[in-house]
Parts: sequence; C-alpha cells; structure tokens
Amino acid sequence: MENIENQIFSSYQRNPDLYDEIHDKKGKVKEIYQKLFNLYGEHTINDYVSLNNKAKASFFNQGITFQVYGDNNVQEKIFPFDLFPRIIDPEEWDIIERGSIQRSKALNLFLWDIYHDKKILKDKIVPIELITSSANYLDQMNGVNPPGGIYNHISGTDIIKHNDGKYYVLEDNIRCPSGVSYVICNRTALKKALFGVFNHYQTHTVTNYAENLLELLESVKPKGVDIPNVVVITPGMYNSAFYEHSYLAKTMGVELVEGRDLFVENDFVYMKTIKGPEKVDVIYRRIDDQFIDPLEFNPDSVLGVPGLFAAYKKGNVTLANAPGTGVADDKAVYTYMPQIIKYYLDQEPILNNVHTYHCSRPDELKYVLEHIHELVIKPVDEAGGYGISIGNRLSKQEIEKVKAEVKASPRKYVAQPIMSLSVHPTYIDDTESFEQRHVDLRTFTVLGKDKEFVLKGGLTRVALKKGNLIVNSSQGGGSKDTWVLKK
Amino acid sequence: MPREFEITYNAKNIYDDWVYDAHWQFLIIPVENENQHEVEIEFSNSLFANTEYSINGYGFKTLRVHPKKKFKEITFEAKFKFSKEEVDPYNFKINPDISLAYNELHNSDFKIIHERFLKSTPFTSLENKQEELFKFDNSISIFDNLEALNLFIFKYIKFTAGVTEVGTPLKQIIAKKKGVCQDFTHLFCALARNNGVPTRYVSGYLDQDSGYVGDSQMHAWAEAYIPEIGWKGFDPTNNILANTNHIKVCYGKDYNDCAPLKGIIHSQGRNKTIHTVTVESQQ
Amino acid sequence: MLARVANNLFWMGRYIERSEHVARYLNVNYFSSLDAPNLKSQDRQFVLRSMLFMVGDPEKDLDKFLKEEDVLYQIGLDPSYSSSIINNIKFARENANSARDLISTELYEAINKFYHFVINYPKEIFVKNGLHDFTTNVAEMTDILRGKIRGTLLHDATYAIISMGINIERATQITRMINAKYNDALLSQGGENDKFRKSFEWTTLLKCAESYDMMRRFYKKTPTSITTLEFLILNPNCPRSVMNSLNQVNRHVKMLNPEKRYNKDSTAFLIGRVRSEYEFKYIEEIDEDIKSFIEDILKSLVDISDKVDEEFFNY
Repeated sequence: MENIENQIFSSYQRNPDLYDEIHDKKGKVKEIYQKLFNLYGEHTINDYVSLNNKAKASFFNQGITFQVYGDNNVQEKIFPFDLFPRIIDPEEWDIIERGSIQRSKALNLFLWDIYHDKKILKDKIVPIELITSSANYLDQMNGVNPPGGIYNHISGTDIIKHNDGKYYVLEDNIRCPSGVSYVICNRTALKKALFGVFNHYQTHTVTNYAENLLELLESVKPKGVDIPNVVVITPGMYNSAFYEHSYLAKTMGVELVEGRDLFVENDFVYMKTIKGPEKVDVIYRRIDDQFIDPLEFNPDSVLGVPGLFAAYKKGNVTLANAPGTGVADDKAVYTYMPQIIKYYLDQEPILNNVHTYHCSRPDELKYVLEHIHELVIKPVDEAGGYGISIGNRLSKQEIEKVKAEVKASPRKYVAQPIMSLSVHPTYIDDTESFEQRHVDLRTFTVLGKDKEFVLKGGLTRVALKKGNLIVNSSQGGGSKDTWVLKK
Repeated sequence: MPREFEITYNAKNIYDDWVYDAHWQFLIIPVENENQHEVEIEFSNSLFANTEYSINGYGFKTLRVHPKKKFKEITFEAKFKFSKEEVDPYNFKINPDISLAYNELHNSDFKIIHERFLKSTPFTSLENKQEELFKFDNSISIFDNLEALNLFIFKYIKFTAGVTEVGTPLKQIIAKKKGVCQDFTHLFCALARNNGVPTRYVSGYLDQDSGYVGDSQMHAWAEAYIPEIGWKGFDPTNNILANTNHIKVCYGKDYNDCAPLKGIIHSQGRNKTIHTVTVESQQ
Repeated sequence: MLARVANNLFWMGRYIERSEHVARYLNVNYFSSLDAPNLKSQDRQFVLRSMLFMVGDPEKDLDKFLKEEDVLYQIGLDPSYSSSIINNIKFARENANSARDLISTELYEAINKFYHFVINYPKEIFVKNGLHDFTTNVAEMTDILRGKIRGTLLHDATYAIISMGINIERATQITRMINAKYNDALLSQGGENDKFRKSFEWTTLLKCAESYDMMRRFYKKTPTSITTLEFLILNPNCPRSVMNSLNQVNRHVKMLNPEKRYNKDSTAFLIGRVRSEYEFKYIEEIDEDIKSFIEDILKSLVDISDKVDEEFFNY
C-alpha cells in the first residue's frame, strides 16, 4: 500500500470484496480523496481521539440529542458523528441529483393520478391492490387538488452504492422524512474540528436548505393569500426528531407550533399568540396523516387540530406534505418505480431500483421461499429498518420462522437481492482506529410548482456495527459530513 | 305529491367532571339530493356556543360546536324541515340479458372507479369461511340476488338492541346472529362486496310512523351499485328497498365514515350521552 | 409569538432566577453561620431550618433533629422534591426546549450545559464538601444565562417576556429571603448585642442578595433592619431590590404592549399601580409591620404573574 507513512491508516483493513469509497480496486487512494487522506495522515491517532471527544461534547452541549427510554430513567444520546467526511464528485452527484428529482416528480404525478383519474391503474401498469390494500391511501383525498399540484413537497431518497459501483435507490421517504438538520450539524461540527481541510476542497454549502424550503412553502400558499404565514407543526419536544423541527422553524424564521397552539374557526386555521389569534396559511407538518385531525382521522390523536382537514379541503390552508402522500411511500410502490417513471415522464430511470420480488405473486413467492438465504425480506409498511431479515445472516430456525411469516401474509412482504452497500473509512471509538463501515446516502429533494431543489450534500449514514448493513439511527447508525464538490 | 318532513334530533351529554375543552362534529343533516329538497336547519345548544357549518372529508355537511367555557352538561337540539318526493324503489328496468351487468362487474375499469366501495374495511371484513355465507346465483339478475341477500340477512340476524355496540366486529355478529341496523347493514355491505357489487353504508333517519323497525336514533341501510341501473337502497333490517321513509344523511364505506357524532373531549371521569330522534311527516 | 411559547419563556426566566437565589441562600447561610457572632446564628439546626423556611417548607416540629446531609440533598439535588435546585434547572431547560426555535443557539447551549452540570453533580460530594463549589457554579451559570439572554436575543417580545419572568421571580425571591431572615432575626434575639434591629441576620440577608458591598457603600454603616429593608425593598438603584425589579417588569411589559390607553384590566396597569405604591413609600411605614408588608408584596407579585398569564398566555 502507498502512503505507508500515513500512520492513522496503517492498520486500515481493506476487504477486497467490498466497494471501498476511498480506495480503488487495487487499494490505491482515489484521486478525489488523495488530499484529504494526506491531510488526515498528518495527525496522530491521539489527535483523533481528542477531536472525536470534542465533537461529541459539542453535539451534546448543543442538545442535538434524542432520548432513549430505559427501565427507570431517560437517557440522552447523540447521533454518532464521524470525523472522516464522504466526498462525492460532481459527475456522480449530477446523476444523484437528476435521479432524485426524477423520482420525486414521477411520484408526484403518480399521487395526482391515483387521487384523480387513476389512469395508471386503468392502463394496468400497477395493480389496483397498491391502493386498495394500502392503509395510507386516503379516500378523502380523492378529487382534491393540492395547491400547485404538489403532494410530496419534501422527499428523502435513500441511495446506496452497490459493489458494482452503481447507485441504487432503496427507499423513497415522502411522509415526513427526517435527517436534514443533521446534514447541517455535521458540516458545522466538522468545520469546528478540522476547519483546515475545507481550504483544500471546493465544497457546496448545505446551509441553503431552509431558505429553499421556505420559498417552496410560500409558493404553495392558498389562493387569495398575499404573504403567507408559514408554520412548522411538531408532535412536541418528546419526539425524537424535535431538534430538527425546532431547527427548521428557527432557520426559516417561522413559528414552531403544536396541535394545541392551533384552532380552526369557520374553516380557517389560526394560531394562539400573545396578541390573540393569527391566521395560518401553510403548515409544514411533521406529524403523520392519521394524527392531523381527530375529527377526520384517528379520534384519539391529541397531536392534531380538530377541523384541520376540512380547512385543507376547502383550500384555506396548505399542508406539506399533502395528506395521503404516504400511499406512495410504500415498499410495494417502490418496486414499480421504473414503470412509474416511464409512464409519467417517458424517461428511463436515472437511478437504479433494486429488483424486488413480490411475495403476493405466487411464482415470486415460490422463488423467495427457495432462495431466502440470498435475499433480504422486508415488510412493506415498516419504517426505520424494523422487521428486516437478511437471508444469509439467519440461523436455520430463523429462516423457518421468516418463511412461515411470509407464507402467512405474503402481501405484507417483499424480497430483494442482498445489496452490498459500499464501505467508507470510519473512525471507531472502541478500537481507536479507522475501519471500513457500510454507508448509504439520503438526499433531500424539495419540489414546488415551478421549482425543484436537491440539497447538495445529503446525509451519509453509517452502520457503526462491524458488518452491519442497517444504517438507521434507531438501529445504532451514525452519520458523516457529505461533501459535494463543485465542478 | 311531495311529503313534508320535520326531524328533531336531541342529544344530551353529561360529565362527572368539568370539561374544559371539547369539540363536537355532527353528521346529521339530511342531504339535499334528487328527492330531498330545501332542507331548513335550526340548531341550538344549551351553552349558546357558536355553531359552525363545514364539509367533512367525504363531502357531507357537518355541524361543529366548540364551547369556550367549562361545563358539565350540554344539550343539543337540531330541527330539520324539508320536502321529499315519493320514491318508487321499483322504478327501473332490468336488461333481459343479465350477463351484461355481470360482465361489467368484472370489468377492471369498473373495479377501479368503484374501488372505494368494493374494498373491505375493519367493519365489513369477513373471515374466509364466512365469505361462503351468501353466494350470488348468476342465473338471476344482480338485483334479484341483492333482494335475496336482503332477505337472507333479515332472516339471519334477529333485531336485538343492546347485544352489540359500535365496535363489535362482524365475525361476532355472524356468530351471535343478533344485532341492530348497523350490523345488518355491515353484513349486507360485506357480502355484496364479496360478490363484486360496489356497496355503501348509508346513515339517515327512518320515519317510525311507517311501522318499520329502526331504533330511536339514526337508522342505517345499504346502497348497492347495479350496472345499467345505478345505486339502489336496501334496508336489510326491514327486508325492504329504501323508500320515501328513508331519509338520507350521508354514505360511506362503513359506520366509521358516517358516525353521526364525533366528540373530542378532554375530561376525566365518566360521561353519559342520551340521543333521541323524532321524525314526523305530512303529505 | 405563540401564547404557549411565551408561557414557556416566562417560566424559563423564573426558574433560572429561582435556582440562583436558592443556591446563594444555601451558600451564604451555611458559610456565614460558621463564624457567626452569636451561638444561635452559629447553630447548624437554626441554619438548616432557615433554609427550609426559605424554600417554603419550614419544619414545624421544633424538636426534630435535622440531618445536614438530608436537608442539603433535598434542597440541592433531590429529583423528587419539586422545589430543589436540580428541578428548577430541569424545568428551566424543559421550558427552553419548548421554545427552542425562538431562543438563540448560544442561550440554549448555555442552559443545556448548565443542566448537564447539575444532573451529573455527584450527590455524595455535594452533601459532604461540594456545597460551595456547586452553589457557586449555579450562581455563576445563571449569570452566564442572563448575559446570553441580554446579549444574544433580539430585544423584542421574546426578550421582554423572559425579562418579566426573571424580574417577577427576583422580586419574589428577595421578598422570600427577607421573610426568612426576618424570621431568623426574631428567633435569634438574645442579649443586649443581639437586638432585632442590629441582628447579624441582616448582614447575612444582604449577602444572600449579593447586595452587601453595595449597601455598605451607600450607607457606610453596619446594616440594621431599617437600612437593610430600605435598601432591598425601596432603593431603585439597587439592582436586586424589589423596586428595581418592579421597574424592570414595568419597562418590559411596555415592550409587549406599548399602547398608553387607560385600561384597568391590563397587566401594565396593575404593574404600574403596584410600582407606584412602593415608589413613594416611607421605610418607616414598612418597619411598623414587616410581616404584613411581606404578605402584601408577595400577594401583589402573585397577582401580577396571574395577570400576565391571563393577558398573554391564554387565548
């Protein structure tokens, strides 16, 4: 290996079967990472131990934490942050950006269609079961025209690089995708810790997300409103993404409200301020459909606002994302993405889809049951990496158990080939060294009537447990600053 | 000659403890349609809280009340006056080639257009064996099958108040063979949909003077969509077709879409609700 | 600003201020008693009882022997005692959390650090030999917070609400301290040198309010009941005085509600009324019946707080 003097990487073990983001196949550091590699090499591992501790303390002191509920106490934890950034070159980013926009647009057209003429069903491109058996399809949204024709104003696209070096989309998150605040926090933290490295790279800023989001939200204001009053609605401070909600409200300069701060009168929405009621026009909601209005949906919800949906339907307030958007955030819909893109945009997908087997189809179910050891089995309606079984990691008994579950409710499951997520050098606390860890990338796309914006950066999530492929923070994942280089 | 109706709806809610915050939404206003006209509404409540009119997610008119002061008791009174044309439920023709209508049921565009009233819901889901309870006989028309289904349910369930409640699942009702109009209607919807006929749950009032069975509150019946004919009302509680005495308020997939009163009340302790409805009509 | 969030900010201010006063009261009383000039004031039981009196839980059983470690733990770090310093800081942070989008990152970070300092403070060390370190840190950190409030927030409604909370609480806590020390001064009366008017407790009181040096500079004499009360209640230039706090509250409520229209139901009206009552008061009037005076001012402060609640936090 070259750069043998680079002591902090001297113990770096490169598994040749995995796609390493910073090394080429021969083990040579890629050109784009060369400078960074050398700069990091000027430090000793002790420097990293101390920088890492400082970065952790900084997150902790800023209160960028989530709460873990233990047996008898509540613990505050930080989302682990890794000091070694991920770099994406401009050409690759171009693909990711165009691909993310393409998917968001196609999904938006899909949503419009299934809540209006349902042409894609009539043309038999996707089966009707996608909507009839989806808990997230809202009958109440049939025939509703959301302002600007936009359903998925904000999308989070989870992308991985497979060991063939190509990008694949794993999931489209269009309910309330979270994580964008961490993109910005990670950048801030890395700047604080190792500001010198930024002098050597032309990196796109990530701090322009809030202004783009606000511009979008203002652009989908209800008819007849001149300067819209925008708010962010949160389930409250005990929600694990509360930091993000407050961050977004603060950086957009708008109010962060809870359901109890709002009320509806004559189908208009108002917030309760120290100077009396103030009309609200656009709500960026970070609560799920089922909870937004107890009179229309889950009656037990205390997070929502009675009468909000009627006000929305009347066109007096805009909700972003639109109610009912969740139906397209379904692993079963995901599998039809290439067809959906083709149908509405008449384009080939820019980003690959992972081939998916539908357990609801008898022949595919048969294949899945026979090849379970080489497949990932996923429930179609779980978020956060829960309920996923990775075939080659299961014991004999576990395989039998999964098979039985799939056979019992085939519609609930899909299966995909085991994708090998690329790996990236990551600082590991326990061993005080850099090791290979699997990473993915979540991009954030903002879609408006006449605009689209992808945050040039995205959240690189890293599975900190050795060999683990699940990067979700709820499953012990961390994250990295992600640099998109200027052309 | 149209009939003049006057419906009085009363509800009284009593709470053990003070209620500081409450929202109610009533879905009780007779809908204006081709045979129900000029609905006049009078609505009042004992707290003199402001009444708002709105439209719910399915397009039906609602009444909302949100008192601004604390209370332990509130009563509501609604009066609806309107006129209604005499309805002849048998005023339609069946195409002698009955297979055309059956073909339509199997048409995929038809299924897509009517998907909302073909899918099963928590209140109308059957277990596998129960789907066999009533199978259509394809040698007779869809309408004849639905009338037979109406009779089947009328005979199958014995009208008994107090054995079931709003949340009782269909499989229990099938096992108990007892229930009220909601249960009759849910079973009708489930079995008709299972045979491919789009069917909706209807909530409304029944003129009790007509001698039919209903309860003293809201009545429920079903409407099925028959190709070439359209939506037809079936009242399995009485084994009749819906007629002039059936005053429609709204329809939906099941009771959930049509609940006459929804309340969001933040209060400790117990509460009690009493509803009464009277329907009077004059030629 | 949202009414709920305003409520959070108001209470954040109050809890920050409260934690400081409780901490300083513990510190000053404990350490001045060590070399107090009379036996009563030196008595550890006397000091512990005074601490409990000040936080609003006086020990009624006169014969009960109080364990020092228990009392210190209860007031300092006991999470199950709602008036403990740790809970005041917990509540301050919880209120800050709900208003997080409105306050500056710097202020939030300072509150958060403060919170972590307090919840991680080892109980054993605190009750054995950490009292000084802990209470000094708490007092200093509240100073930092006030600095961040003044220096990193726009001086608009957010700032006005927090400042009202801080100043209403300051007046309240100063009055509570006066009450506790008045009580101590009565109890510690002994021989010729321990007369109520010249009690050592007045010096302690001034130190609890961090006003001893200022007072000495102003009067150039040993504190007596009259001069101490005059200074802490009526002197508008003493930054800790009730008068000064009322002036501050008055100034800030006008930021929220600048209109000058006569409105006898407004908070501004009530504050102005209470303020003018004390502005032109003789200390001799107060000295005649200190007990009633203390009751009156506490009631006025509660009324003001309720009025704020009614006008701004409840739509």
